[in-house]
Amino acid sequence: MKAIEVEHLSKIFKVQQNRGGLKGALQDLFSRQYNEVAAVDDISFSIPQGEICGYIGENGAGKSTTIKMLTGILVPTSGRLNVGGYVPHEEREKFVRNIGVVFGQRSQLWWDIGVIESFGLLRKVYGVPEQDYRKRLDELVQRLDLGELLSRPVRKLSLGQRMRCELVAALLHNPSIVFLDEPTIGLDIIVKTEIREFLKDMNRQYGTTILLTTHDLQDIEALCSRVIMLDEGHVIYDGGLDTLKTRWGQGTRVTFRFGAACPLDRLRLLTGGLDVSWTADNELHAEVLVPGEVNVSDVLARVVGQAEITDIKITETTTDEIVRQIYRSGSAGLPEESVRAPHA
Amino acid sequence: MRPMLSAYTDFIRIRFLTMLAYRVNYYSGILIYMLNIGVYYFTWQAIYGGKGEIGGFTASQMTTYVAVSWMARAFYFNNLDREIATDIRDGSIAIQFIRPYNYLFVKMMQGFGEGLFRFLLFMIPGMALALLLFPVKLPSDPVAWIGFLVMLFFSFLINSQLNILTGLAAFFVENNDGLMRMKRVVVDLFSGLVIPISLFPGWLSGIMQWLPFQAITYLPGSVFTGRTKGTGILDVFGIQLLWFFGLLLPIYLMWRAARKRLFVQGG
Amino acid sequence: MYYIGLVFEYLKNYMKTRLTYRADFWVEVISDLMTQATNLVFIFVVFGHTDSLGGWSEAEVIFVYGFFMVPYGLFSCFVNLWNFGDRYIVKGEMDRILTRPAYNLFQIFLENVDPPSLIGSLIGVVIMIASGGQLGLEFMWWHIPVMLLFSVSAMLIYSGVYITLTSVSFYSDSPTGIIPLLYNIQNYGRYPVTIYNRFIQVLLTWILPFAFVGVYPASLFLGRTEMFHMAWLTPVMGGVFLAIGVVSWNIGVKRYRGAGS
Repeated sequence: MKAIEVEHLSKIFKVQQNRGGLKGALQDLFSRQYNEVAAVDDISFSIPQGEICGYIGENGAGKSTTIKMLTGILVPTSGRLNVGGYVPHEEREKFVRNIGVVFGQRSQLWWDIGVIESFGLLRKVYGVPEQDYRKRLDELVQRLDLGELLSRPVRKLSLGQRMRCELVAALLHNPSIVFLDEPTIGLDIIVKTEIREFLKDMNRQYGTTILLTTHDLQDIEALCSRVIMLDEGHVIYDGGLDTLKTRWGQGTRVTFRFGAACPLDRLRLLTGGLDVSWTADNELHAEVLVPGEVNVSDVLARVVGQAEITDIKITETTTDEIVRQIYRSGSAGLPEESVRAPHA
Repeated sequence: MRPMLSAYTDFIRIRFLTMLAYRVNYYSGILIYMLNIGVYYFTWQAIYGGKGEIGGFTASQMTTYVAVSWMARAFYFNNLDREIATDIRDGSIAIQFIRPYNYLFVKMMQGFGEGLFRFLLFMIPGMALALLLFPVKLPSDPVAWIGFLVMLFFSFLINSQLNILTGLAAFFVENNDGLMRMKRVVVDLFSGLVIPISLFPGWLSGIMQWLPFQAITYLPGSVFTGRTKGTGILDVFGIQLLWFFGLLLPIYLMWRAARKRLFVQGG
Repeated sequence: MYYIGLVFEYLKNYMKTRLTYRADFWVEVISDLMTQATNLVFIFVVFGHTDSLGGWSEAEVIFVYGFFMVPYGLFSCFVNLWNFGDRYIVKGEMDRILTRPAYNLFQIFLENVDPPSLIGSLIGVVIMIASGGQLGLEFMWWHIPVMLLFSVSAMLIYSGVYITLTSVSFYSDSPTGIIPLLYNIQNYGRYPVTIYNRFIQVLLTWILPFAFVGVYPASLFLGRTEMFHMAWLTPVMGGVFLAIGVVSWNIGVKRYRGAGS
């Protein structure tokens, strides 16, 4: 059973083109020019029930636009959409009973009244029976440790406290699909960890499908088995986090510091036959990139003993680095060229 | 201080360009001002019936007065009160305090940028249209023209000062929407826009003479229609000047109180 | 019913919020009343210089004003769209509205209910009774149901016009929209429209039908037979304009672009 199905989805915005200067502005008053910008350009993917999927991309890559189409806020320009058995923008009011949405930068709660009053109102809006509501609220309050916060007005809460309350507000009606747009933005590491743990538990316990966008790749590493990466409105990667790492990870980086000068040519000679690439700042300092299929110990065996080494440091490439690399090259389609070429 | 000055003129320029971007507002604005003039023109026609003169206005003077008053409003009107109230309510005013300029002066400059737009693209074409549609008589005396244009600028200043005062009220009441709505109606009525001050019953026009509103529409309108002539123009201009300087004081006091409130209570 | 239940829930929340800012409540009530009073001043001043306006006496025009206040109070209480463009489009609160399972326009109405405006409706009734007494109008039992019908219909006309114009916010980039510009026009339906020329009459009757929120329906109670047929059109116009409003709103929502990126 698929929770979310997206086929050839596009959203094109007409953007007003402003001619510069006073003369241009006057011209604009009488005739205006528009540009068409595809915020989301022909993307397809599907997410099975019970999966936690990360949706990542730079600012302006089209993440929010996609989420807004999936939640029924925006009407797509073209393409097919099915979320939890509904076409979101067509049967919006019925559809949203089944989903929960958290926008990290915007509040769902009424500013001036106690948090619990907001929850009570949301109960009515979502038509949750009193008994279910009590049970669900108790569970959430206990799990997120909200106890004494409930009677405070939102404006008196810290960001971390508010965010936990936002989660409760979005989950009171026990939705089967949850969308989180930057849920951890601006939070400290303790609250972040708490929220990640909570989401993981919820997914395990209820089989909730979760789609989240984030700039914090640690969210992804902690939660997601799968990532979809977006760039300029296109999906540039869709698959497991592990695959991403093995396919695009630059392997292992070994940094050497030498006691005596050791030129690059010599090092290249030493590791001849192995598919590795060397770089150096100066003759006392060099770095070698060892791809996944080559053994680090083979490389070390060739160098150690042949040069006077004072220090060795071995580092794995992090997801951060991988993602940064992919963004920089603008495509994850051709990892061989895009990632290795500079060293060749 | 030269770079500072150019920063302020930039606020004028940017607001002018911003106004140009709102096309729907522009077109509907011109139509709606014509409609306003039309409605009052016919209302006064009905009131005059066969009467020669009401409150010192002949029917023909009244037509000109209605047209020029509404077109003057098209120029001096702005939403500074709303803008200031919004800045206060969403807390962005706190940032304004730490910027290296005077917030109220910037608002005034933005208002002037809007005014410039309204003058060139609302008032002048609007007046031309009104000349075609209604029997409006333009003054033949160049002194009346000069007097009117100078006073029009002060109408803008005084109206903006009142807007600033109303907007700053948001510091002291949480929701000043009602206050702003009331100010709008009061200014329209007591400035003489919908009824010239001389038509008010004696006691009421007596009160009006001690309020700043007449300086916005009634006094410049009287100069334009030729009811105030020669040195009389200087007299009424003097009243405007007096109000302009007089209103600086409450603005200063309110601004000071607002600052104190902000620093004591936090944003 | 679901929606009626929601009305009470939101009103309850409104009360709780308002209790935090009690002083504001009175500032608002008083400034609303002052606004109405200044409008009445116009009528008094005009009739200081003439006995009749297009064949209508002072008491009649004041009665029309009293009638106008009733639907206007209802409208201001339940259909408060003043800040829509700024709050829901520019600040993006529309996103939140659209992810909740109730009709979006209805949610916006509920989030902005403004019960103090109803005091204006009450005063309107008082004004009608006073000026009606002055005119020696005879009270009849059917006045009450018809008054209710006309008030609600007139409120629907008002709502329809404002919903239509507010839905322009979905297309236009202007934060204030064009509503402030209309502020004066809504007043013109309170005077006998026969004094205006053909063009303005047509405009106030069929395009921005503010005459149906004032002089037309009130004419029935004043016994001004020349407008009876228009008076009875009020409920029809209410239905038509509300429908136009809702349809253009729904089209607008489809065009909603969201705030920010």
